[in-house]
Amino acid sequence: MSQGTSPSSLSPASQAAQTLAFNMKLLAQHEIEGFGGMGEGVGMQLAPDGRRIMWMAHESAPKNFTAIDVSDPRNPKFVVQTDLPHGDMRSNSLDVVGNTMVVAYQTKKFDMKPAGFDMFDISTPEKPKLISHFDASGKFSRGVHCVWFDDGEYVHMASGAADFEPTNDKDDQCYRIIDVRNPSKPTEVGRWWYPGTRKGDQAAPPPRLKLDGGYRAHNTNVYSRQRPDRAYVGYIDGGGWILDIKDKSNIKPVMHWKNSPPFNGFVHTMMPLFSKNLIIATEECVRDNLGDWPKMTWVLNAEDETNLVPISTVPLPSPDSFGKRGGRFGSHNLWENYSAKTAWRSDDIILATFFNGGLRAYDLSNPYQPQEVAYFVPGTPKLSPKGAVQINDVWVDDRGIVYCQDRFTGGLYIVEWTQ
Amino acid sequence: MEAPVLGRSALSGRIPVGVVTGFLGSGKTTLVNKLLKRPEMNRVAVIVNELGEQAIDNDLVEVSSEQMMLLNNGCLCCVLRGDLQETMRDLFIKRRNGEIIDFDRLVIETTGLADPAPVMQTLMTDTMLQSQYRLDCVVTLVDAVNGLEQINTLSEPVKQAALADRLVITKTDLVDETKATALEAKLQELNPRAPVKRAVNGEIELAFLIDVALRSMQSRLEDVERWMGPEEHEHDHGHYGHDEHGHKHLHDTHVTSFSLRYKEPFTWNSFSQCMEVLATLRGPDLFRVKGLVNVAGHKGPLIVQGVQHLFHPPIELDKWPSDDQETRIVFITRGIARDTVASLFSAIASIAPAPATV
Repeated sequence: MSQGTSPSSLSPASQAAQTLAFNMKLLAQHEIEGFGGMGEGVGMQLAPDGRRIMWMAHESAPKNFTAIDVSDPRNPKFVVQTDLPHGDMRSNSLDVVGNTMVVAYQTKKFDMKPAGFDMFDISTPEKPKLISHFDASGKFSRGVHCVWFDDGEYVHMASGAADFEPTNDKDDQCYRIIDVRNPSKPTEVGRWWYPGTRKGDQAAPPPRLKLDGGYRAHNTNVYSRQRPDRAYVGYIDGGGWILDIKDKSNIKPVMHWKNSPPFNGFVHTMMPLFSKNLIIATEECVRDNLGDWPKMTWVLNAEDETNLVPISTVPLPSPDSFGKRGGRFGSHNLWENYSAKTAWRSDDIILATFFNGGLRAYDLSNPYQPQEVAYFVPGTPKLSPKGAVQINDVWVDDRGIVYCQDRFTGGLYIVEWTQ
Repeated sequence: MEAPVLGRSALSGRIPVGVVTGFLGSGKTTLVNKLLKRPEMNRVAVIVNELGEQAIDNDLVEVSSEQMMLLNNGCLCCVLRGDLQETMRDLFIKRRNGEIIDFDRLVIETTGLADPAPVMQTLMTDTMLQSQYRLDCVVTLVDAVNGLEQINTLSEPVKQAALADRLVITKTDLVDETKATALEAKLQELNPRAPVKRAVNGEIELAFLIDVALRSMQSRLEDVERWMGPEEHEHDHGHYGHDEHGHKHLHDTHVTSFSLRYKEPFTWNSFSQCMEVLATLRGPDLFRVKGLVNVAGHKGPLIVQGVQHLFHPPIELDKWPSDDQETRIVFITRGIARDTVASLFSAIASIAPAPATV
């Protein structure tokens, strides 16, 4: 049977109300005070008083971010929740280093504010204190979609800029590096964009893909401890990039991985597994009911970083079945091996989220044949507008506890591996 | 603090499988149909040969295909047509797809004439099944009316009983106590480590039939005893020595059950060579092997299990369940004497002794 077809007569639908679990067990769910639509920004703080605080950006207005005390993963406790200044914006993304948090702001349209990011002092989790705001608004900017803040010194982000006029409105967010060593005065120190996406570029604007997701930066991962001179950037329809950022003011491409066409673009994350010379690349599913299937999680051999070779994709359950479960089904976020003290890291096991396909873990002992070793797909959360859960992001702490979030109503799910 | 290792446990990360076997007329369908209706079976998938009427009466909630039905206690009942391996794969795929209940246990009813060994071996040889399922328990039913005669005259019931982890005598209400006791004694001779219970009309406590095999990498001594059976005698041992107790040789059926104990650790090579020789030369007679093996260089014991010529890949427990770190292996064989196996082990050990433990 070809992928993408849904012959209802041949296969029964996945029953969305039913929780599916293999080798994983739900410890607790927190519905985030009735605002359980979570984005793709999660960070765990070890607060000065010893509590483990999980900070999460909301998927959409009216809420900005929420903190939940997960010190006891079976009994998560609400700490704080903040509101956005208006409804035509979203935070979606945040990162935490020590007691500092960076929160992205993206507006619905160009030329609105606030568009950029805020830095907060979260030493007292109940009272996040604004340190500074970095303004990325502009005539052709919606601000920041996604931040990467892992070393406490630089914010790497997908962002528009006041002086960035895209050749196509969908190509408005490029890769920007902001020096926050003085947190009260964030300063841009580097920028790179897909050649041809900025007005005035010598290169011609890139060709549009069939579904036209845009040529924008998405995840801009930098692992300062292992490779401070490399940025691993998902560039949506522009594929995946490895960038040389040794000189932040002169960023140079090292590699461009392009898989679309024939695939449907939207490269979201490029995550290196250094000890294995692999890069895991995800494409984000952005359409309901298999509208952009297949959206996969790729395993790329990176022995030669200038020539990434796809060697496998992680096995997903049948689209014939999950395609009918409701909402999106396909790849999205990965557990990204953050360097935080509170984070668990592995080059052998990857965890990824697949919207209605839930959270799934794969063993890459043999990277040519990833093995699914666990999954957790919650049944439809209460009031879900899609009729099925839409697991958006994942975090794994140093105790091995796994956290995942629903994009609409389910909030936070805290899961442990079966022992 | 050391980061926890996440991944799939070779024991708890697999779905336990119970096999219900027994000769024609031994009451498998009655027992399985009774089980199907219990409230605790709400996350269990059962593969049956036929669905008795007593199971269905008004309990049928939904027919997802002509082969599968969901009973109203939540139990998924699947009538076997064709290949068992295919059915088991299909069940796992449908579970993963959310098309059926998220079952966390599978029970298989074999046909009356079936040799349970191939069913057990399926879980050792089929790559896909082996990574999703694990054998939990083989339950053999023996009919009190005809069982003794069947065992004395036919080979299938003997093998069914010898392979069992649990034995259930059925229809005891139809015979006098002497006959039931005689059968019980016979079964204990055949398979002294498998506990025996009686069931009338399929009524038996579920706990007797489930969670028999090891299910955690941190298994405790009582878990090991539940799986291997209690050791019946004290033992003595020496360097590659072995105890002389617990040796039962039955001349009528040639089924023998015995255990070996070793103080010194093995090398994996020497241990696997012993098994290799036995499996190659006497595979059909090596009914069942269960062992906790001390292999030099390993932190915990290796769990070894074999059915005839096939062995499951060894699984290393995180730690020894008690201070007793001696290798213990249980054999159920047809006509392979304990001394034969013991001398084979000694011979191989003398060629390749294990390094002294540090």
